[in-house]
Amino acid sequence: MTAANNDHSPVMAAARDYPGGQASADTVRPTPTSAAGAAGRFLLWRGTDPLDIGIVIVVLAVIVTGALTTRFFSVANARAILASTSWVGITAIGATVVMIAGSAVSLAVSQTATVVAMIFLATQQFGLAAAIVLALLSGVAITALQGAVIGFWTANPIVLTIAAGFAIGGVATWISGGTTVYPQVVRFNGLNDTPLGLPLAVYILLALTAAAQWFLRRTTAGRHMYLIGENPRAARAAGVPVGRVTVIAWAIFGACIALTGVFLAAFNTSANAGLGGTLSLDAIAAVLAGGTAIGGGKGSALRTLGGALLISAISDLLLLRGFSTGIQLLVKGLLVGFVVIAVHVSSTRGRR
Amino acid sequence: MSGVQISVEGLNRSFGGVSAVQDVSFTVGTSEIHGLCGHNGAGKSTVVKMLSGQLAPDSGRIVIGGQPVVLGSRQAAQRLGVALVDQELSVVPELTVRDNLLLGDFRAPLLNRRRAAIARCRQVLSDMRLDRIRPQQPLSELSIGERQLVEVARALSQNARLVILDEPTATLSDVETEHVFTAIRRVAAQGCSVIFVSHRLSEVLELCDTVTVLRDGHKIATTPASELTVGNLIVQMLGEVPHRLTAARAPDPRPGHSLRIERLHVPGRLTDFSLTAQAGRVYALAGQLGSGASDVLRALAGLHPQATGTVELRDRAVPFRSPVGAARAGVAFASNDRKSEGLFLDEPIAANLLATRLPTLARAGVLSPRCEHQVARSLAELVGIADHRLGEPAAVLSGGNQQKVFVGRSLGRDDVYALLLDEPTRGVDIGGRAAIHRLLRAAADAGLIVLFASTELEELLELGDVIITMRETRMVARYEGGADGVVLMRDMTRGERTA
Repeated sequence: MTAANNDHSPVMAAARDYPGGQASADTVRPTPTSAAGAAGRFLLWRGTDPLDIGIVIVVLAVIVTGALTTRFFSVANARAILASTSWVGITAIGATVVMIAGSAVSLAVSQTATVVAMIFLATQQFGLAAAIVLALLSGVAITALQGAVIGFWTANPIVLTIAAGFAIGGVATWISGGTTVYPQVVRFNGLNDTPLGLPLAVYILLALTAAAQWFLRRTTAGRHMYLIGENPRAARAAGVPVGRVTVIAWAIFGACIALTGVFLAAFNTSANAGLGGTLSLDAIAAVLAGGTAIGGGKGSALRTLGGALLISAISDLLLLRGFSTGIQLLVKGLLVGFVVIAVHVSSTRGRR
Repeated sequence: MSGVQISVEGLNRSFGGVSAVQDVSFTVGTSEIHGLCGHNGAGKSTVVKMLSGQLAPDSGRIVIGGQPVVLGSRQAAQRLGVALVDQELSVVPELTVRDNLLLGDFRAPLLNRRRAAIARCRQVLSDMRLDRIRPQQPLSELSIGERQLVEVARALSQNARLVILDEPTATLSDVETEHVFTAIRRVAAQGCSVIFVSHRLSEVLELCDTVTVLRDGHKIATTPASELTVGNLIVQMLGEVPHRLTAARAPDPRPGHSLRIERLHVPGRLTDFSLTAQAGRVYALAGQLGSGASDVLRALAGLHPQATGTVELRDRAVPFRSPVGAARAGVAFASNDRKSEGLFLDEPIAANLLATRLPTLARAGVLSPRCEHQVARSLAELVGIADHRLGEPAAVLSGGNQQKVFVGRSLGRDDVYALLLDEPTRGVDIGGRAAIHRLLRAAADAGLIVLFASTELEELLELGDVIITMRETRMVARYEGGADGVVLMRDMTRGERTA
């Protein structure tokens, strides 16, 4: 059904005859603007938030400190920051979708990425395309299954993904026999290319961000995710297919994790049980640093890209100024803590 | 009855300039059971809150045992001998019955609370024929009715001079109600004064010695119960009895679509409800809390997964055990809990208006901002909200405007055939109420089946073409045209034991 049909529906026509309805609609009638401009105006509201002031301050601090640090503002360093953002960033885009849809976080990301990397390496002999497809399918299947348990049976995502993480890690160790998986043939060298001096993963991250942004704002499923995250009881009562939409969100997350797994495998050319590292927590940190709300209903893929870049930039800055890895981790923790508190303050202020 | 124990003199209280209680005076004697009656918004709850220390009166005074008292808090009131059984359960399911009975009883010694207090609790429990409930039992093992009984027992066991019971029987069965009455009579016989607030008028007349009726914040009369009948009690409560102003709509002769409900049953909430509703008419379900009126709507909307029965809309079965299935079959539901089960308060108004119709606006799952904006604007015009506000979050709107958005969400869709609304104008001012009523009437005129539940007589009479009264999970009667307030009130409040 299109909008034009809707406008002619009998209820609309009937209501227009009421003097009351007419009067209040006439009192404020802004000068006609282009429909697209007006649409942009009402969709923009979500973006303006007192929290952004805090983020802008952090970004300014990074820029000022960066200007005082030799080699921070250089093309080579910018490339380094982008490159170090790409793997975590790809997973974080998926984590954003799940967090917006109200399923909080997954703590099984590292293990899933590891298993996918192993599958990718073990299936090299079928060709690169087949290996990528198999890797994606397994990532989607493993993660969407968890989403189904969360969406249809309202399982607690944190508890469930801790359990799933152990199970997936166990299966990975069992099948690989606890050793490192090597490919029989290597067909993935193309994935390590650096067109225009940037790793392929950076382009994938940018494309994925744009696609996720569009999906969340412009599709029925994406918009349902905001509603479910904002008020799951109301979404259920309104007949929004909560279970199905939750599964879609987790399936997208699974595809993103799988992509990260593929790039990890291609870069390392082998995979062992520890390959995923701290990917689970790094992805969560990037999403939170961007200002997406842990409780769901607010946030965007663009914000997460910003959050991931900010964390990378700060780590890079600290590295250039000679701080230890410990200090880098500490600052990352402080940044995430700061943003989470700011999000909480700004959202409780909005709700009276 | 001998001697005045409690005396209320010229109480006044207003909220934000609106007067809720004006110059209310009455007295309660020793051993007297005093009924307090009034329709919704008459001021009963405000009086109860002032007597139990939860609200300070603007002026007037409360005298207990000859001493004017200031009740600064519930604790202060309890110290002066006022015990309250609240409308809402305030027992803790995780604790045992014994701990619940001691909860908030400041006289129970911190250590060795057992002996004296337990003896008192046992006495009250056995007075209420609750010997089957062991003090060591966790409360979570008891039914809702039994929990209510424990709460009543707690108040009665506090050796209070005044016990206030605010709707203590709303969730109880007849037998349980009898047990509560026995216990109340017993404490009254021991010299305690009792104030009994209830919608169930026959119970009030059965239990009370005297009845004070409030209407619009004023005291109308205090009458000995022996001189009252349910009929003249209702007249006191309603004053000029509201009658229907407009004649009921004649059934549309066109063979439009219909909603057939057969033997809809929700265990403990709704018993064998059957109704056939025709397109173009407004059906009103009249019933107090626990009557089953709102459960009819919730079951149809898929929110009672344990519901049984048959529901057909336009001759097709409605899969009413899931909200998604019900919505897909063309049922739109607006809950009575707008904040937690209705709107998406942090989302823009536009998003709220479109929330449930996104699939109808999309092509292959993809939305066009242009089309969305057009529909949002026409809906804003329909419900009377200026379109420059569409980008604001729904939380900033007044209650009335929020409700308009909530109702408007289900209008103007050609995939919705039945519109269900639970308390469509709860917390809405008079202007907003009229606007919402116009919207619903327009929706019916446009060919929708409209079914709503309400406790407000004016609303039922003004909006309902067919009025169905409900009480204690069952349908009582069905009225088409010619309904009058007294009859509805009697049906809803158990005017007679046998209906």
